[in-house]
Amino acid sequence: MSTASALAALPAGLVWQGRTFAHQAGPVLPTGHAALDAELPGGGWPGTAMTELLGDQPGVGELSLLLPLLCRPASSRWQVWIAPPRIPYAPALRMAGVDLASLLLITAPAAAEALWATRQALASASCSVVLAWLPQVDSAGLRRLQLAAEEGATPLFLFRPLAAARQPSPAPLRLALSAQGRALRIDLLKRRGPLAHAPVLLPLHAGSL
Amino acid sequence: MRAACKPQASTVLWLALILPELPLQVLVRGLTDPGLLAITESQPRPLVIAATPAARNRGIEIGQGVSSALAVIPELNLRPRTPAAERALVHEVATWAGAFASRISLDPPDCVLLEVAASLRLFGGLAALQQTLHAGLLQQGLLVHSACAPTPLAARWFARNQAACPQATEGTCATDWRAHLDALPLDVLADGSAVSPASLELLAGIGLRTLGEIRALPAAGLARRQAQAVTDTLSRAYGDTPDLRPEYAPPVNYLVQLGLLHPTIHTEPLLFAARRLFAGLASWLAARHAGIDHCRLSLLHERGPDTVLDILTGTPSRDEARLNLLARERIAALRLSSPVEELRLETHGPRPLAARSNDLFGDSATERENATLLLDRLRARLGAGQVRQLSTFPDQRPEHAWRSMPFGEQSASPLLHVEPSVGAPRPLWLLPQARPLSHPASLCLVRGPERIEQGWWDGHDIRRDYYVASTSNDALWWIYRELVPRGDWYVQGYFG
Repeated sequence: MSTASALAALPAGLVWQGRTFAHQAGPVLPTGHAALDAELPGGGWPGTAMTELLGDQPGVGELSLLLPLLCRPASSRWQVWIAPPRIPYAPALRMAGVDLASLLLITAPAAAEALWATRQALASASCSVVLAWLPQVDSAGLRRLQLAAEEGATPLFLFRPLAAARQPSPAPLRLALSAQGRALRIDLLKRRGPLAHAPVLLPLHAGSL
Repeated sequence: MRAACKPQASTVLWLALILPELPLQVLVRGLTDPGLLAITESQPRPLVIAATPAARNRGIEIGQGVSSALAVIPELNLRPRTPAAERALVHEVATWAGAFASRISLDPPDCVLLEVAASLRLFGGLAALQQTLHAGLLQQGLLVHSACAPTPLAARWFARNQAACPQATEGTCATDWRAHLDALPLDVLADGSAVSPASLELLAGIGLRTLGEIRALPAAGLARRQAQAVTDTLSRAYGDTPDLRPEYAPPVNYLVQLGLLHPTIHTEPLLFAARRLFAGLASWLAARHAGIDHCRLSLLHERGPDTVLDILTGTPSRDEARLNLLARERIAALRLSSPVEELRLETHGPRPLAARSNDLFGDSATERENATLLLDRLRARLGAGQVRQLSTFPDQRPEHAWRSMPFGEQSASPLLHVEPSVGAPRPLWLLPQARPLSHPASLCLVRGPERIEQGWWDGHDIRRDYYVASTSNDALWWIYRELVPRGDWYVQGYFG
């Protein structure tokens, strides 16, 4: 019996092979970008976990990346933005199709308050998506956020500086965002699957420019 | 005899709740550790009438003089009795008990009577009901004794003698409750009745020890010896003559106060005490099938104005956990300058609120409730101004084309919506203040210009040419050039 056929005989999930994606626990939310979906385990954003988006530069398309997700209709559920570093521009969001009535903007003054608000939003299980900008969050805080996201079954997108890539994180998905030739370049730093060798390039602004 | 009392037992069943050591409980219920404390009363010489277990273990005895008590424990904390607070507490318990029985009656000084025959099925039987009552009161920091009997007096006496004859309290709703009553000691007669101490002395003097022995005496003989009250009381206790009790009507508005033995500025003791109050409030609301959308928790200081916390729940609710959470956020955010002596919880205008039935398919109601609860919590801790919503505003000037207002406030002009000109790019990020560009030459213009020339009517007129520009790092910025005075470049947003 060859190794391959012996492996195939085993029940699924017992042995994980390096070149296949891990089985994604919980629901998966399509990103709306086919090229990115193909690189993510389960084919989309983890629906009940924290996703880290690392980047130093504004204006590379970091919000446009999430727009398909933010435009999904979700009745009576909040879409919470916590401590964004700039003003989310309402006319642009409306043009993109985001429902402003369900968008809650939390302008927390202190880092501790922002972390608290993020955990509350996740734990309440009443948000369709939570976006948080927490530049200084320690490992314990990250672990709490990941747990809260799991418990509340709410996807969390955590925006942090690129330097945070060196810090270990319990997030199952970590992406570094930068720009390359008017396209968004996504380096998959961590995913539940094989190591990614090539970045994903998404020409997000191609339509509008 | 047994057959005769059985139908009565099934139609009326009184449950007596007795607050033992009421003068002490009034003071210690809001404390995690009351320490060495004794309650005194002048009768007319000041005597110790109640003491905490810690104090009793160190040798304090009930009935001891104050000076000898202080000789035993010099650091003993002595407090005078507070009859007004005791009365208020009995009322509070009666109000709270409204959730469990249809008829409540006060039986001063320390007893509340509940007519529970109709409630037994709902709460799963007598034992389960008693357990619920004890647990609920314990949550409010109160210890009670309870017992059941078909007559109020018998229930009260059984509860009072729970420690003395436990077998009497167990099977008291059984048919042989009269036999248990017969076994009660003579001195219970004075409890809650008009029997004078002189009559008791007379009965004890002729060698009687239990109620059963008195019942065996000829009634006419007792009446001749000025002991009419004894026979009257006994016939009411045994159910031979009706014992009518005034019904207790719960107050229309809820107001309770809880004094703190040790004034404090710390959060945890305050929260502990507040939890006691909310437990009572939740039950009062349940009894009225009502919910509140706001209540007021006042922290009373010895000097200076009260600290008033208005707790808003958004939607009518009687969820104790929710009220506790909201109070926790508010109290934790407080900076108290002087110690709190007393807590007062009041609420007006409860609104009808039906109990929510469980949904078979999904629970959208729970989800909606969670959504409002999240809002409440965020606003309670961060302040209403920090939880905001965005809207567009019909103005061509980019910095005036949006509004952000605290959640719940309506935007100034919700009727009119002007879409920006089709195809004109707008950035997802806007800078609070446009930033001058120091090296505009390093940028590469990708798209533009879009001329925006507006606002001459309100003094904030602009004349700008907007471009989308790409930086050396390939990021896209929204920049403009001022036309008057010509030449200055600014960045106003990022295409995030």
